[in-house]
Amino acid sequence: MRKTRERGLSVQTLQELILRLQSFWAEQGCVIQQPLDLEVGAGTMHPDTFLRVLGPEPWKVAYVQPSRRPADGRYGDNPFRLGKHQQYQVILKPAPKDVQSLYVRSLEAIGLDLTQHDLRFEEDNWEAPTLGAWGLGWQVMLDGMEITQFTYFQQAGGLELLPISAELTYGLERLTMFLAQARSIYDIGWVPGGVDYGEVRHQEEYELSKYYFEIADVVFLQQIFDGQEREAKRCLEAGLVLPAYECALKCSHAFNVLDARGAVSVTERVALMKRVRDLACACARGYVESRERLGFPLLRGTLGATASATAATASGKEA
Amino acid sequence: MAEIMVETPMATEPPKGEFLLEVRSEEIPARMLEPGTRELATRVFEELMARGVGPREVETGYTPRRLVLILSGLPEREADREEQVLGPPVRAAYNAEGAPTPALLGFAKRCGVAPEELIRIATEKGEYLAAKQRTTGRATSEILSQVIPRVLAGISWPKAMRWGAGDGPWVRPVQGLLALLDGKVVPMSFFDVAAGDSTIGHPILSPESFSVVGAADYRQKLTALGLEVRHAVRRKRLHAAMTAEAEALGGKLVEDDPLLDKLAALCEIPGVMSGAFDPAFLSLPAEVLATSLRDHQSALTVEGPEGLMPAFLTVMDRPDDPIGRVRSGNEYVVAARLADAKFFYGEDRKGKLAPKASRLDSLGFHERLGTYGEKAERLAQLAAAIGRRLGSPSEEVEQAVEAAKLLKVDLTTEMVKEFTSLQGNVGGIYAREDGHPEAVWQAIYDQYQPASTEDSIPRGRVGRIAGLADRIDTLVGIFGLGLIPTGSKDPFGLRRAAQGVVRIALEGSLSLDLEAVAREAVGFYGAKLSRSADEVLSLLRPFLHDRIRHVLGLLGYAYDEIEAALGAGAGGSGGVASLPDLRARVAALKKVRGEERFLSVVLSAKRIANIVKDAPEHDLEPSALVEPAERELFDAFADLRAEIVEALAERDYERVLFRTADLAPVLDKFFVDVLVMDPDLDVRANRIALLQAIHRTISRTAKLTEMVVDKAELRGR
Repeated sequence: MRKTRERGLSVQTLQELILRLQSFWAEQGCVIQQPLDLEVGAGTMHPDTFLRVLGPEPWKVAYVQPSRRPADGRYGDNPFRLGKHQQYQVILKPAPKDVQSLYVRSLEAIGLDLTQHDLRFEEDNWEAPTLGAWGLGWQVMLDGMEITQFTYFQQAGGLELLPISAELTYGLERLTMFLAQARSIYDIGWVPGGVDYGEVRHQEEYELSKYYFEIADVVFLQQIFDGQEREAKRCLEAGLVLPAYECALKCSHAFNVLDARGAVSVTERVALMKRVRDLACACARGYVESRERLGFPLLRGTLGATASATAATASGKEA
Repeated sequence: MAEIMVETPMATEPPKGEFLLEVRSEEIPARMLEPGTRELATRVFEELMARGVGPREVETGYTPRRLVLILSGLPEREADREEQVLGPPVRAAYNAEGAPTPALLGFAKRCGVAPEELIRIATEKGEYLAAKQRTTGRATSEILSQVIPRVLAGISWPKAMRWGAGDGPWVRPVQGLLALLDGKVVPMSFFDVAAGDSTIGHPILSPESFSVVGAADYRQKLTALGLEVRHAVRRKRLHAAMTAEAEALGGKLVEDDPLLDKLAALCEIPGVMSGAFDPAFLSLPAEVLATSLRDHQSALTVEGPEGLMPAFLTVMDRPDDPIGRVRSGNEYVVAARLADAKFFYGEDRKGKLAPKASRLDSLGFHERLGTYGEKAERLAQLAAAIGRRLGSPSEEVEQAVEAAKLLKVDLTTEMVKEFTSLQGNVGGIYAREDGHPEAVWQAIYDQYQPASTEDSIPRGRVGRIAGLADRIDTLVGIFGLGLIPTGSKDPFGLRRAAQGVVRIALEGSLSLDLEAVAREAVGFYGAKLSRSADEVLSLLRPFLHDRIRHVLGLLGYAYDEIEAALGAGAGGSGGVASLPDLRARVAALKKVRGEERFLSVVLSAKRIANIVKDAPEHDLEPSALVEPAERELFDAFADLRAEIVEALAERDYERVLFRTADLAPVLDKFFVDVLVMDPDLDVRANRIALLQAIHRTISRTAKLTEMVVDKAELRGR
């Protein structure tokens, strides 16, 4: 066994964690994408995951995604739960043979000396009923704490996937808490030596919880749900898959808020979820058809080449 | 001396006929490892035996990252086979001149033998020519290289996946393949992974690849790295270390076999992680503490002289904790989980349980059957009805009603939302804390028992009454909607519910007419059920009878004994008026069936049943019985009836059956001397009436025609 000692080398703040992950996955040739500018429950719902995993085109992407789970809100009172948290999402399509060791290297990149820790991969099968998606994989446990969801996508939008994508979802707040051994999410540092998480986000957690649990207008939200569903169908009829998918995501969020507001009965729950799933599945089919019409552009050349060419163009413009 | 030394293999040289297989994969779910490995070993063994190259010994092992199979004493190759291939008939093989025909020459050529090597064989159709063909047996290595990948691919994992460009399906992506027969690589590949002679140790602590020459070398090298591939050995080590650790802490390990099985399947290096938590958490109910630690952290607890100690034990896939981070990480997570539990407990205990009952009005039981609030009302009525039927004292009925009203309230607590497996227990604990009588809180606590075949039924009568009410209400409700379980589809857990009903009534010795209770339960649903009680019962009855058969079968009763007892009573409906009574009748049948007299009574019963089967009911006119044999039968029956009725009242079914058997000789004589189907219709009707009276009496205990008897034995009499 190697006799190295962890000398406080691991990152301690949210910001450093994000920067290290960004540069590690950029070095692996990932498209460094930005968060989706809509409310979503998880990084999986970003079109760069949900739609890009469909069809034959290769894809590598990494991004932070703020993820809203209204029902998990605790008015900023609970040290471990948030109504809005941040995920670091990585998609590797097709999943490379060494994806597990790549993942282990990403942990080393954030300064963990794994020879001093207990890293285990425990069965955890992922399913998203509103997306018609499921996959097999693990919850990755570091010294007893779940720090990542590691999933091989098998199906999305009701469609069998081929090639298979690997999805890595790091819980950023949790991981930072663990690295800094903080007693509360609100105590973790955001900036080294600077503001902490509570200073940046506590008011937002309180107000969002208050809104989702007490203020949100049920009738208005139901109208949003119905209206966005109609709009999604209109978009699909017009052959516009991406706007249709955005409408579906808005439905999904409206549903989550209604649920947190306690306005969804058991029966309605099943029915509303089915309506979202039907939209998501229709978008998935429409997306594959639209890419096929374009001749699956990303099949041409390696993804790495495409990615670096894009990077070169971008930097050229800046200069 | 020298000769002996020559025969002793060198330590590094594996014994002859040894095959070592290791499949490395990404982490396989703990619960699938044992069945998967067993299937691999069994199928390989069977396939090799079928080819006559079976091993003398089979060893298996597994860790989350590898399946291991070691076969020893394999023969070098299959036996050579000699076959005779049939050719043309002799008469077609030679022409008139006795020279070989083209048929002969062509056959010899196809078989690759010289014409003069062909032999003659006599068959039913005459004499034929044949060629002797010798097939050389294949080398074991060649067989293994075909059998192993096929068997591996065929393992029936509960859930399989694809990976990469579409490899699979298998349980998880395959990473490596080690296949050595007597130190040589057996050429094969599995999902593009080619077999070699090397493996790796622990992926983080010893990831370097190394080669091995055989099983002993493999074990030795893994052991040197701290890895153990035998699950049982890992489990034993974990258990020993945990027991020692618990003792060192001044307590005793709380045994949890399923959890220990799981922990041993989660590691390659069985390290014990011992952690502590803030003693302030000990104010939580012990069930909550233990469940949180088990469900969330896969941790065992330690019991001290005054209850649980503030310590937990789990596994780490490494030998030690060099800088204490494994322990501090686990303690951190446990603290967070227990803080959550304490928060929920605090929220729940801001008020008592009983006032929370109103929350059930907004908790749906089933979309078409209303809320849990409505269910609670029905349960109170049904529990009272069951209590009355059982003749319970009024205090017991009151307590059953109180428990029924509170039974489901814990579904609205934060604790049960978080720890679903604690439903019932949580309500029971809260009711205990709120000062409800022992019988009431225990009834709430035990309501989901029996949850499995091994689980026991609720502790007290009140709990049994409440448990029956809950299950019967659910059964008639769902059946009332026509949602009957089919095949493996049983979303409402109705089989388990029905089994619970049967076991509670049986083991709790509750003499209860379940059909009558179910009818009342239908009534309490009012207009919610569109089906009548008769319709519901006609659907529910066969389902319930199936569960009764199943439970009695598990108790060791034979199929025909159960059917006979179930079929008792007029038209077979009285078989389950009381389950303890049913069991007494089944037990009596089992006991007397071996008796000689019993065989003849079964035969007579079958004869009677045949005669009275389709006959309308007749009134018996004893004075019209004139033939001596029928008078004798009537008198014998009249004598016996009083005694049988008495024995029936005492539920002494053995005596009933034996006394019934006393009729056998008189019956035999009756059937010889008297023609039941007399041309005179009045005489005939009266004789049938006599047999009907006997049939009714006999049928009160069992439908004897269901009993399977040895016909040969009967013919011999």
